[in-house]
Amino acid sequence: MADEIKPDVTIDLSGLSCPMPAIKMKKELKGMSSGQVLLAIGTDPGTKNDLPGMCKKGGHELLGVDEEGGTFKYYIRKG
Amino acid sequence: MSDNNETSVLGGILKRAYSSVFYENWPIWFGGILIGIMSVITFGWARPWGVVGGLRNWADWFFNYIGIYSQAPFSPIISTGSILTLGLFWGAFGAALMSKQFGIRNAPGFELIKGMVGGTLLGIGAAMAGGCNVGGFYIAISAMSFAGLAMMVGLIAGAYLGLRYLYWEMEHIPSKPPKPSKGSGGKSLVEIEPYIGAIVFLGAIVAAWFYARNAYARVGGLLLCGIVFGVIIQRTRFCFVRCFRDPFMTGEGDMVRAVTYSIVISILGFAALKWTGLRGEEVYVTSTFWFGSLVGGIIFGFGMLLTGGCGSGSVWRAAEGHIKLMVAVFFFALSNSLFKALIKSSEGFQALIGYKFFIPDYIGYKWTVIILLAIFVVYSLVATWNEETDKFTVEM
Repeated sequence: MADEIKPDVTIDLSGLSCPMPAIKMKKELKGMSSGQVLLAIGTDPGTKNDLPGMCKKGGHELLGVDEEGGTFKYYIRKG
Repeated sequence: MSDNNETSVLGGILKRAYSSVFYENWPIWFGGILIGIMSVITFGWARPWGVVGGLRNWADWFFNYIGIYSQAPFSPIISTGSILTLGLFWGAFGAALMSKQFGIRNAPGFELIKGMVGGTLLGIGAAMAGGCNVGGFYIAISAMSFAGLAMMVGLIAGAYLGLRYLYWEMEHIPSKPPKPSKGSGGKSLVEIEPYIGAIVFLGAIVAAWFYARNAYARVGGLLLCGIVFGVIIQRTRFCFVRCFRDPFMTGEGDMVRAVTYSIVISILGFAALKWTGLRGEEVYVTSTFWFGSLVGGIIFGFGMLLTGGCGSGSVWRAAEGHIKLMVAVFFFALSNSLFKALIKSSEGFQALIGYKFFIPDYIGYKWTVIILLAIFVVYSLVATWNEETDKFTVEM
């Protein structure tokens, strides 16, 4: 599963709903170097739908998504 | 033996049908097309789709109950606006349960304050524009009212300003660590959600049947229309906010295209119903051109970014269990009712809000339809061009 991936930066977005998770991830990714991995933890089910498009548009790679008990973990490699 | 096989084959088909409807994501463009079709069906059946009218009806009742309004509003049980909005809640709630996505989701305190302020702005904006993103923009344009286009310009401007605010907020207001979320409330509850969802939908059919039995078939039908809107919007996560925000935020244009497909269908359907005289020309042509629609659109657009939901979006997300959006819907309803009463109380204010502008009165139906379609084709093309060039994307 995706939890074997070692993130360089972790951001907790629990409790936030659209569009805050996307904006905060965008900001975090902006400050990272290419190739680094961001782990974003969130609870908004909408993020799961928005993320593939956002990663594709931003040139990032969505490495994986883990879901447990309503909490999502997204692993994104900065492009 | 073969009976058993046939039963298990049928069981397999039903299981696959269930998972394709409630587990797999529906593409957003498909949602747009379905909403366009439903918009025309709803107008053909009884009246155009709307959201904020129902919320205002409930708030009017509240203010009448506590003695602020002397006049009682139309009964929420048979008010068509109330029934459509109830249906939207009902359908989105049922769909969230069936897809195991319902859960009470708390938000940090600052987000709840944004829900209150944003909801209040949504209410004021919708009161000025004669409707929310549905009645004031989507349906108004379908109804060939120039006020709908004025609100569209306002919504684009408001979404841009709202996004700039959110960027500013991130830099200047430190976000506190969020409270631990309750998630979906435990695994066992999630497992029974589809069963509760089935009961919720069964209840809807019983309610519609009850209306029809009491000679309120039109209202019962509208309840079912509202429910279908709720299911489509929850399953596709159809978000009008994204249509106005994404080109500036991420540069994505898929939501702009989805709204375009939707509104094109709706415009054609409304034109057919009005042009042939089957429906009144004045329907959803509000006296809000141009000041009310333009300025109301800006206020509403800004409010959308603060709340993370519009008229339809706040309602379906509230039905999915987001407390921030429940707070927003509450303030949205109350502020809309109060601001509408304020506008009505002053002739000068009403005159400032604007006048009716039915486009075919000036250029005829044919050119109205051609020009409206052209506007949305261009809007879609610009959003797609922006996907490649990021010309309108706002950097942090």
